[in-house]
This record gives sequence, structure tokens and C-alpha cells, in this order.
Amino acid sequence: MQLRIRKKWLLLPLLLLVLILVYGSQHTAKPAIRIGVLHSLTGTMATSEAPLVDAVRLAVEEANQSGGINGAQIEMIVSDCRSDAGYCAEQAEKLIARDKVQALFGCWTSACRKAVKFVVERHHHLLFYPVQYEGFEQSPDIIYTGAAPNQQIIPMVSWALEQRGRRVYLIGSDYVFPHVANQIIKKLLTAKDGKLTAERYVPLGEQNLDGIAREIAMQHPDFVVNTLNGGSNRYFFAALEKAGIRSDDIPVFSTSIAEAELAAMGPELMTGNYAAWNYFQSVPSDENRAFIERFRRRFGQVRVLDDPMEAAYIGVHLWVNARREADTSGLPAVKAELRQQTMNAPEGIVAVDADTQHLWKTVRIGRARADGQFDIVWQSGRSIAPAPFPFFIPPDERARIAKGAP
Amino acid sequence: MKIFTRLLLLFMLVSTVPLALFGYFNLQQDEAMLRIDALGRVSTLADKKVMQVRNYLAERQRNVRLLAKSPPVMQGFEALSEAYAKRSSSRDALMRQYFERYVEDSGVFYDLFLITPQGDIIYTQKHQADFATNLQSGPWRGTPLAEVFRDASMTLEPVISRQDFYPPSKAPAMFIAAPVVVDGKYVGVLAAQLGNDPFNKVASDPAGLGASGEAVFARKDGEDMLMTTPLRYRPGGTEVLRLKLKNNETLPMYGALFGKSGENVKMDYRGVQVVSAWRYLPELDWGMVVKLDGAEVFSSIQGQRIVMLEALLALLLFSGLLAYYFARQISTPLVGLARTAGEMAQGSLDQRADESAFGELGMFARAFNRMAVNLQGLYRTLEDRIEERTRELHATNGQLQEEIIEREHIEAALRDNQAELQRNQELLIEAERLGRIGSWELDVVSGKLRWSDEIYRMFELDPAQFSPTYENFLRVVHPEDRDKVNLAYRQSLDTRQPYDVEHRLCMGDGRIKWVREHCNNYFDESGKPLRSVGAVQDITGQKQIEDNLRIAAVAFETHEGIMITDANANIIRVNQAFCEITGYSAEEVLGKNPRLLSSGKQDRTFYEEMWHQLTALDSWSGEICDKRKDDTIYPKWLTITAVRDEAGKITEYVAIFSDITQRKQAEEEIRNLAFYDVLTGLPNRRLLLDRFRQALTTSQRSRQYGAVLFLDMDRFKTLNDTLGHEYGDLMLAEVARRMQTCVREADTVARLGGDEFVVLLEDVDEQSAEALKKVALIAEKIRVSLTTPYYLAGHEHHSSPSIGATLYRGNEKSVDVLLKHADTAMYQAKESGRNAVRFFNPRMQQAVESRAALDADLRHAVPGGQLCLHYQPQVDNEHRVLGVEALVRWIHPVRGLVSPSQFIPAAEESMLILDIGGWVLETACRQLSVWRSRELTRNLSIAVNVSAQQFKLADFVDRVAGLLRAHDVVASLLKLELTESVVLSDVADVVAKMHALKALGVKLSLDDFGTGYSSLAYLKQLPLDQLKIDQSFVRDITSNPNDAVMVQSIIDMAKNFRLNVIAEGVETGDQLDFLKLHGCMAYQGYLFGKPVPVEEFEKRLERQGDS
Repeated sequence: MQLRIRKKWLLLPLLLLVLILVYGSQHTAKPAIRIGVLHSLTGTMATSEAPLVDAVRLAVEEANQSGGINGAQIEMIVSDCRSDAGYCAEQAEKLIARDKVQALFGCWTSACRKAVKFVVERHHHLLFYPVQYEGFEQSPDIIYTGAAPNQQIIPMVSWALEQRGRRVYLIGSDYVFPHVANQIIKKLLTAKDGKLTAERYVPLGEQNLDGIAREIAMQHPDFVVNTLNGGSNRYFFAALEKAGIRSDDIPVFSTSIAEAELAAMGPELMTGNYAAWNYFQSVPSDENRAFIERFRRRFGQVRVLDDPMEAAYIGVHLWVNARREADTSGLPAVKAELRQQTMNAPEGIVAVDADTQHLWKTVRIGRARADGQFDIVWQSGRSIAPAPFPFFIPPDERARIAKGAP
Repeated sequence: MKIFTRLLLLFMLVSTVPLALFGYFNLQQDEAMLRIDALGRVSTLADKKVMQVRNYLAERQRNVRLLAKSPPVMQGFEALSEAYAKRSSSRDALMRQYFERYVEDSGVFYDLFLITPQGDIIYTQKHQADFATNLQSGPWRGTPLAEVFRDASMTLEPVISRQDFYPPSKAPAMFIAAPVVVDGKYVGVLAAQLGNDPFNKVASDPAGLGASGEAVFARKDGEDMLMTTPLRYRPGGTEVLRLKLKNNETLPMYGALFGKSGENVKMDYRGVQVVSAWRYLPELDWGMVVKLDGAEVFSSIQGQRIVMLEALLALLLFSGLLAYYFARQISTPLVGLARTAGEMAQGSLDQRADESAFGELGMFARAFNRMAVNLQGLYRTLEDRIEERTRELHATNGQLQEEIIEREHIEAALRDNQAELQRNQELLIEAERLGRIGSWELDVVSGKLRWSDEIYRMFELDPAQFSPTYENFLRVVHPEDRDKVNLAYRQSLDTRQPYDVEHRLCMGDGRIKWVREHCNNYFDESGKPLRSVGAVQDITGQKQIEDNLRIAAVAFETHEGIMITDANANIIRVNQAFCEITGYSAEEVLGKNPRLLSSGKQDRTFYEEMWHQLTALDSWSGEICDKRKDDTIYPKWLTITAVRDEAGKITEYVAIFSDITQRKQAEEEIRNLAFYDVLTGLPNRRLLLDRFRQALTTSQRSRQYGAVLFLDMDRFKTLNDTLGHEYGDLMLAEVARRMQTCVREADTVARLGGDEFVVLLEDVDEQSAEALKKVALIAEKIRVSLTTPYYLAGHEHHSSPSIGATLYRGNEKSVDVLLKHADTAMYQAKESGRNAVRFFNPRMQQAVESRAALDADLRHAVPGGQLCLHYQPQVDNEHRVLGVEALVRWIHPVRGLVSPSQFIPAAEESMLILDIGGWVLETACRQLSVWRSRELTRNLSIAVNVSAQQFKLADFVDRVAGLLRAHDVVASLLKLELTESVVLSDVADVVAKMHALKALGVKLSLDDFGTGYSSLAYLKQLPLDQLKIDQSFVRDITSNPNDAVMVQSIIDMAKNFRLNVIAEGVETGDQLDFLKLHGCMAYQGYLFGKPVPVEEFEKRLERQGDS
């Protein structure tokens, strides 16, 4: 009799303990925090943009594994921009207004960015833009994790002028970025005694570039600066080959071809040509090796990594850190934290420049190898401060150049 | 284990373990709190230092950017390059002077360099070993200067280098470089060298670092990390500490050097536990750590831990003793019993157990003893006596033993007691110190006063030199409070109640302290006071806080509205005045955004600017329109101040505002009082003079005439005297109202006082005669308006004004003089019999009068048959008369022949032109009808001038048709001459009427062609038959080539449009020849005949026909 009573008294505290545990675990389950991803999964930009979604996914999963945002999991909503800027802006509006995402990650072309910028600024929202671009822009609501002109185009052309000679041929797609980039390049040629042999534009997605190749063969410039974007590149290099132009004779310096594009179009077409980026998969650092390994473990051993992917990956981590530190969904607080973020990225240490909201980045020029990777032939002494508005172009001309886009 | 030991252990366990656990968790929580607090502090401090470094570098970058774009550098580059190539230093001096203030005086830079695109250092301020070397190939090609040159040259952007040892300066250095671009050409790089001092300063700034804290900067150097600023714990040079990066991953600096930021408790380079925050500085590529020693941060916890341990020990001892006592109580009797039983087993049957044990043990002992007694009964008979003695001895012995044990117990207890007392005393002292409470004790009988140490401390007296007495105590009390204290004590003795009093103390150096005293008195049975025991508490701090709170509370409840929001602009507090002004209660607005007060009157930019200034300067003030709860909008004067915490983060915004509706209204009223007449609301003398002066200046510029009218109501005084002032005032207000309706809005009607008014008319006309006429009209209008009867509060009243007027233009006469003139003119008006307008100047007056007379006479011209027509012939190339132009003449019975240039303008203004025009048209038609009957005149046409007003008449076409019918005239012989001013007015109407006239068959001619602005295109639309070249062109046709060209082109044009051309004012044969040569086909002018009465014309015609 007495024994039974004792058992009862033991059961009661046990029950209480279980109740407390159940209550506690319910209390800690926080609602998920949403972010929006805006990239083209179809259309001419899909080759370039689709891998960025994976980079974002990797970063999100890493953040979730390390505790999410102070206990809350991050949920990513991916919208296909269909290589259409206007459609992309609509998607941005939808993600902000309907899905209540706390940040947007995306865009590739400047046309797309400018369309989405309008939406983001109207909502005072937050966009991470992961691609190098033409500069002349700055927004309180955008973090630019790709290169500003002084972190890619300008040093690339400077280096080519030093190494290859003065005569330059410019070829680009007919939209914002190539036009403005070429305006900058032309100013640079004036500054550094370069000589422009021709400046040509073809529509986005153009496949017939034989005429261009013939003209290059005829003019025989010291080098070509290629600001073509999307699918045209493959046809361009094929046309060059057809016209008998060799990379050691007239090398092409490209701004929008990285490892992913190389893999998609076959590296042999571009071997020996150059590209300038802040990140190459071949960057020899422990962080980078670990990054590549993590990515491949998740998405497959044959996958390649490139600059825009890395920039997209960085963007998420910067946001996660800032969001954790701010510990609020209030965008002003998150933006304030973002402006102070620094990070040991695969490309090296990056830091958000508080004034411009672009990143401090190291500049690298690489030469394409037959295996689809790049040999780094030059890199800046240290990370370079971003300058979206080039110093060497007088302020009164900047406005004109920025407007020079069609 | 023995029962004793078990009991002892159990008891101690139960009493101490929960306490120990509680203490442990409590300490743990305190430590966590302290840790969070300290981490926050170092983190804030780290951010501050990052900002310092960042601001410094940004400033230097700005310097370099400006220098790179400064003319001396841009211009100097070329000259210096040339001089350098020739190894001359001619340009150096200028550059040196320009750079001096950057390098020497303010020490902004350590050195400045100019480098060519090829890397040649062509200029340095310090001329160290680096001058005249090449950065791409020379000895310093691996230095940060070479790197910064290269990066600047590659990116054409200002760049900042890493820091490294720079051999030419024999010190660590870093550089900022900017490209120099001249006319779009890259000409070289300007580089500036920075020393290490500013960073050393940031590192060594001790603010916020406490006794043990330190700020450390470091950079990566190959495989090492190298501290770049002096260390607190490694005094000496700059390169004080070099650590391997490997194996030091746990150092806070390691994270910082790899771009991380964070804060945590870590081990620093000394191996000491520190609370640290680490940051990465992208500008320098450095890491920074700010840290505080854990020992310092957690020192208070350490103290608590010791106290806790001591308390635990004391408790353990106490409970041990207690347990020992109880355990003994149980075990001693048992042991005694066991021993007794054992001895009895050995045969000592006289043994007895101790029965004094409590409870069951006692019962057991007694039962045992009863058993022993029974046993013993068997042996008692044997050796009784010996046994008895032995027993007695034993008993005595046992007693003694017990006594000794007892004594030992007492002694031990006494010792415990004393130790306890000692401890209590110490605790009391500690408690007093902590609580700032002192205690005292007064032996009332002996008068001896004893103070605790804390009292001495509180009163700031030295216990060695001061003997405490009640009188001495009173001496320390503030003189104003002495009576109060004394009284409180005395009363407490009388009433036998404790007392509680707050009073001030005067310190030796004049400071005031507030203390609170509490005292209890003790009395013997007879009620005589024995002793008083009291406590004194220092409440100075509390008092100050209370005062501050009171002041703040009073200040908060001021008549100005106060609203406090948190950093996110949510309202967290408002005062009563806020509620009164806005109409919202505090509950309605708390937690809301102040936006709900917004009236929407200010646009977004206004708020953006406000926030911009607020964040930049921490305060904003200005006028703003907000909305009350009842939606009324009111102006308020608003001052917003941002409140920042120690870390510089905004925590609150305080908005103070006052409703300035009344002030605004008052301002308006004051303005009105100062410039406006209260009764009529008209401008007063002051405003009038002001406007008058401005008007003179304006007129000086515009050369327009203006006028000033002086007006006085006739017999106003009589009205005032007979009906009273109220009526007078009503009348004046009515006068003011009527006058305002008579003038344009831009004109000023002012009341000078009494019944005197002044009207200021501006921009009347450029021509004095015209101006005079217009002013006369306005004055007349006013006079008529003011003469109509007044209905004042039911009374009809008749009055009239006298008006004096004068014209002005420019600054020829002063305001005073002009007013005096108008005043004089007004008196003349009064003298002339009142209800009149008079101009000051006799000539002005005359002009006005003669004009008026002309108008009056003109009215009689048509009815009086004073008009007649003269006819001037129009001829063709063969000088044959084609027709005539009818010209009106006025023969006044007194004036004689009046020139049309005199009376036509007057007629046009007064609309008499309609009568005159009608008469001319009818007369011409009648003439045509007369001529129709004669062979000679049958085909002559008559051209009649039509004025604009006339043509505008809606029934003009009908009238013409009526006249043609009435006089049975061939329509094609009537030619209407229209001026450009007629055809230019209302195009659609004009064209329609012209077509209608054409349909009648009437010919249309455009008069004075060439003087207006007719456009060709317009001309094409008009159904004209003829163009008439103005005589002004014809006059100079032979002397002025311009006119010749003009005439020629008019003729050509007319031909192109298939129009007739007639030239008027042909006076000479040369003119005729020219016109004929260029294809003109008809002429009119003195050469062919002046305008003459019809009879004369007919005679001449007959003569011509005859010849």
C-alpha cells in the first residue's frame, strides 16, 4: 500500500516535466522568414542566371543549418524572370507585396536591374544585385555585390592596353550595359592614348556574327573588348574561329563570360582569351576550396563556379549576418547593419562600402584554359574601393554617359 | 556507518545543498548579465573607433582627390615632367609652396609625390631616397607606394594602399593615390604618404577602456599577424608583437584579420581572458580588437562568489553543530545503554542506564533499568555494604564526569556565541557602509554618545579628533535645520514615540548633504529616558534625483506641447499641453506614429529635409501645419531634438511645440493695425505713402503716367454733428466700398483720416493727354458713384465728394508735393461749388475741360448737320477718274473746320463714331444715287472708311444692304475701306462679314496697307478687291530705298493675289513714275486733286471732261 502511494508521487513531477518541455519546444518554433529570388530560368539569359539560384540556395541552406535567423528558418521563393525585364519587375512587385519577402536577390542585365530598381525603391525595399555592371548608379535600396566599373572594366582595358597595344575593337549587345561600358572605355582610351577601330552593337540573342568577325579580321585590332551578353557569345567565338582569328593574335577581353558560360558553350572556343572578374574558380585559397567542395557536394561534382554565383552567394551571407545582428524585420535597421558588413568570402575579404553600398573587391584578370578554368594573370595589390561614378570622368560628363544608354 | 555519522551527514546535506545550488545559479545569471553588458560596451567602443579611423581616412582621401584636381597639380605636371627630363628643378619651388600647407603646417600628410604614368617619381616634398626613382623597375618597386601607383593607374580611381614598412622613410607607411587627368588625358598619379600617428592615437585613446582595456590594431604580414599600434601590455616601439597566424586561430584578432566582426569572451595574446570585440577595416586591410580584461569586468562577481562561499561555510558549520547536538542526543543514551548492558553482561548488575533521554529512548532506558533492578535484587544481599560504597563512589564519579562534560558544553557554546557576535558586528558595519546608514547610541543618563564608523564617514569627521556629543552633532546640522532636529528629538522624548526626520548637514567645505534620521528611545519603568538609539541615512543622492524628477516633471507639464517618441518614431509619452493642443488624449496616441497629426499641408520633400537635418544635426525646428483630432488645421512652431545614448545611437526624439494660431492672428492684426484703417479696412496714410513711393519708382522705369486723387466728402461734418458718429462711420465705410468698385484692383484707395480719401492710380497711359482723359473719367465715375444716395440704418442721405487730381510721371515731384497738389486741387473743386473734379495744373485742367467740351459739341455734330463729306479723286494710269474717297469734315459753328485727326479719336472713344460712320455711309450712298442719273458720274465709285466699331456691329451688313436698296445704288460702286485694325480683330466674324458684303457686290479695300502686321497667310483668307498703299510709303518712295522695296513688294504681292493696288498720297510726278514703272494701276493724291466738297468736285470733273 505504502509503495503504491510513493509511485504516484513520483509520476506527478514526471508529468509536469513533460508538460514544461512540450510548452518550451512549441514556444521556440518561429515562423519562417521569406526571401525572393529573381532570375531568368528560361530565355536567352537562362544559361547565365540559373546557376545563381543554386548559389543562393547553398547560402540559404548553410544559414539555416547554422541556426537560421536567430531561430527562424529562411524560406526562398524563386521567380522565373523569363529574360524579360518588365516581367521581372512585376515579379518583384509580387514578391514584395504579396509574399512579403524581406529581401530580394537577383537580376542579371542592367535593363532588368533598372526595371526592378524602380519597384524596390518605391517600396523602400532591399535588392542584392550580384553581377558586375556599368556603374553610374547608386541606390539606398540596393546592395551591389558585383563589380563596379573600376573593379572590372577599367583595369581590364588598362591592362590590355599595356600588354597588347593601342588599337581596340568594341563589340556589345544592344542594351544599357554595353553602351555605357563602351562610353567609359572610350573615355579611358582618350585618357590612355588608345585608339578605337570600331564600336558595334548587335541585338541581345543575335546569332549571326560572321560580319563582325570578318570586320575584326579586316581591321586587325590589337584586342577586342566584348560586352556581348547571353547566347550571342557562343556564336561570336564560333564566328571568330571561322574567320581564322586566333586568341594569341587578337585576344578577346570579355566582361560577361565566366566559368559557367564557358562550360555551357564549350571551353575550347574561348581558350586563350581573357576575362576580368573578382572571383575565379581557380582562386587559390582555403575558403574557396571549401566553398567549391560544399557547392559540389550539394549540386554535383561536375558543376563549375564563377563570379556572379559567388557574388550571389556573398549577398545572401551578408544579408543573413546583418539580419541576425539587427534582429528585426525592419528594413532600415537591416540596411544600417548591412553597411557595416565585412566577410571572408571565397574571393578574399569583402566589405560593404557604407557610402556606395557596393563591395570592396579584389580585381583579377584571367586567361581561359582548355579545361574551362582561368589562369589568373593579374590581380590588384589589395581589395579596391568601389567607385560606381568613375573619378577620371568629370561630373558634368557623367550624367551624359549615364544617359548615353538607349 | 554509525547512526551518529549518518544523521550528521544527512542533516548537513539537506540544509546546505539547496542553498548552494540557488547561490550558484544566481551567480551564473549575474555573470551572464554582466557579460552581455560588457560585450555591448566593447562592441560600441569598437564601432566608434572604426568610425574614427574611417572618418580620418575619408578626410585624407578627400584631400587627395581635391589635390589631384587642383589647377597647380594639373598644370604643374607637364612642366615638372619636362623639367625632370632635363634634370632641372625650376618648377619645384612653386609646387613646394603649394604642397607646404599639406605637409608641413597641419601635418595632414607625411609626404606628397607626383609620379608619371611610366612610374617615375618626378616630385616629392621631402626628397627622400625615393625621389627620381622608377616605381616599376627601381629599388622601391615592391613597396606599398609602387602598389598604390599601379592600382591607381590601372583603375584611374583614387586608391589606398596597405600599410608596410617603407624603407625611404625608415618607418611603416601607407599611401593614398589618385590619378591626375587633364583634359581627359591621364598624365600621372598624385600620391600622399600617411604616417602612423592617427592610428596610434585612436588605439591609445583610453576613453571607455577602463583600467585594463586596450584597443589593438594589426595587419597580416605573410604568415604572421603584426600589431601596428603600440600595445598597453608590451610597451616599446611599434613593431612590438608579431604572432604566427597559425595556432592563433582563437585570438579575437584572427577573426578580424579575416574579415569577420563580432564580440565574445576570449583569450587575448597574453593568454588572459578578455571581453573583446573585433572588426575588420577594409580601408586599411587591418583588423582591430577592443577588449577589457575579464578580471575587471567580472570583479564584482568574484566578490559575490567569495561572500557566497563564506556564507555557505558558516551555514555548514552552524548546521554541523546543530546536527551534532541532535545526533548526540540520540546516540549518547544508546551508547550509554549499550555500555551499561555490556557491563552488566560482565557481571556488574548494579549498572543503570540514563533515563533522562527523551522519548522512546527514555522509555527504553527505564524498562532496561527496571530489568536491572530485578536482576540486582538477586545479588543485593551479597556484599551489600561493599557494593553500596562502590555504587556511591561510582555515582559520585559519574556525576563529576557529567559536570565536566556540561561545563565543556557551556564553554563551547560561549565561544560560538562570541564568534557569532563578532561576525554580526562586522556584518553590521558592512551593511551600514553599503546602505550608507550610520547608527548612534546616546546614553541619556551619562550623556555619552557613541557613533558608528559610517556616521563619521558620513559627517566627514575624523573619529580620532572628534568626540561625539549631542551639541557637537547639532553643530554639523545645517543652521536652518537645527531647531527642527532638536525639537523632533525633544518631542520624541516627551511623547515616548520614535521619530523620523530629514535634514541637512553642513560639510566643512560648504557642501550640503541630506540625511534621514530615525530614532527610538528607551525608558525605565518610571518613564525616565535611559538611552536613545538612532540610525542616520545619507539620502543626498536620492534627494537630488527627487529634485531632478520634480523639476523634470514640472518642466514636462509646461504650456508647450511635448511629445517623446522612440527611435522608430512611436510616441511613448506626451504631456497635458500636447493633449490640449491636439485634442488627442495620451491613450489615443501612445504607440502611434506622429504621422496621425499630419495635415498633409507639407509635402514629402519637406519631411525628407526635416529628417535629413534631424539626423545630421540632431535637431530641427520650424513652422509646420498640423491637424487636430477634430480635423482643424493649425500652425505650430515645432522643435525636434534627437536624444542619443552614450554609444551615439538615437534612443528618443523629443518634439516640443506651441500652437501659434493666435500669434499668427495677432501678427495679422498688428500688420493690419499698422497699415490699414480700422474702420474701412483701407490702407492708411503709412501704407499709402509707401505704395506711392514705389509707384513713383515704377513709373520712372515704365514712363507711364499715373495720378493721385484727393477726395473729401462735402458737408460730412454736418452729418457727423447731426446724426452722430455712428452714422458718419457707416457712411465712410460705404464711401470706401463704393470707391473700391470704381478703380482697378491694382489701384490704391486709402483713407487718410476723417472724411479724407486718396486714390492712387498707376500705369494710366504713356501719353499725358490720354492719361488725363482716363483719370478724368475715373474721377468722374467716383464722383457719380459717391453722389448717389446713401441708405444708412434706414435713413436716406445725400452727399457728394470734391475731388482734386494731379498726374505724375517718374520721380519729378516728391510724394509730399504731389499730395499737396492734389489737396489744392480738391480745395479748388470745393470752391467751385462742391461735387466736382478739379485738376491741379491749370493746363491739365484746361485740357480736361476742352476735351470735355469737344465731346459735348461732337454730340451735336450729326443731329446739327455740322458734318459734310469731301471727295478726293482716284485715277488710273491714264489719269481718268475712277472714283472718289469720301472724307468726313466737321464745320463747327464756333470752332470752324475741325480736323478729323482731332475729332475722330474723340468720336471713337465715345461711340459717337457709330453715328458719324452711319451718316457718312448714308451720305455716300445718297451721293451715288444722285450720280447715277448723270452720264459723267454714273460709273464713279465712292470709297468709304469704316471704323472698327462700326464694322463690329452685328447688323452692319444688313445696314449696308438696306442703304444700297434704299438709295437704289449699284453695289459695285460702293467701296468700303477697312483698316488692318478692323480686319485683325475677330477673324472668323470679319471674314464672314466680308464674304457677306462681297455677296452684295460691295468692293472691299484694305486701307493703310503696310503699316500693320498683316501676315500674308492671313491676307489670303480675306476676300479683298484692293490694297491701298499707305501714303507714308509713297511720300519717301523716291528717296528711301526701304520704302521703295516695300512698295514694290506690296505691288508684286497684290498681283500675285490678283488684287487691285492703289497708292494714296501721290504728290509728285517722280512718285507717279516710280509707281507706274512697278505696275501700280490706280492713284490718289494732291497730284490729282485735293478732297473738295461735292460741288467743286463735280465742277472739276466737268472741266476735265470738257478738255
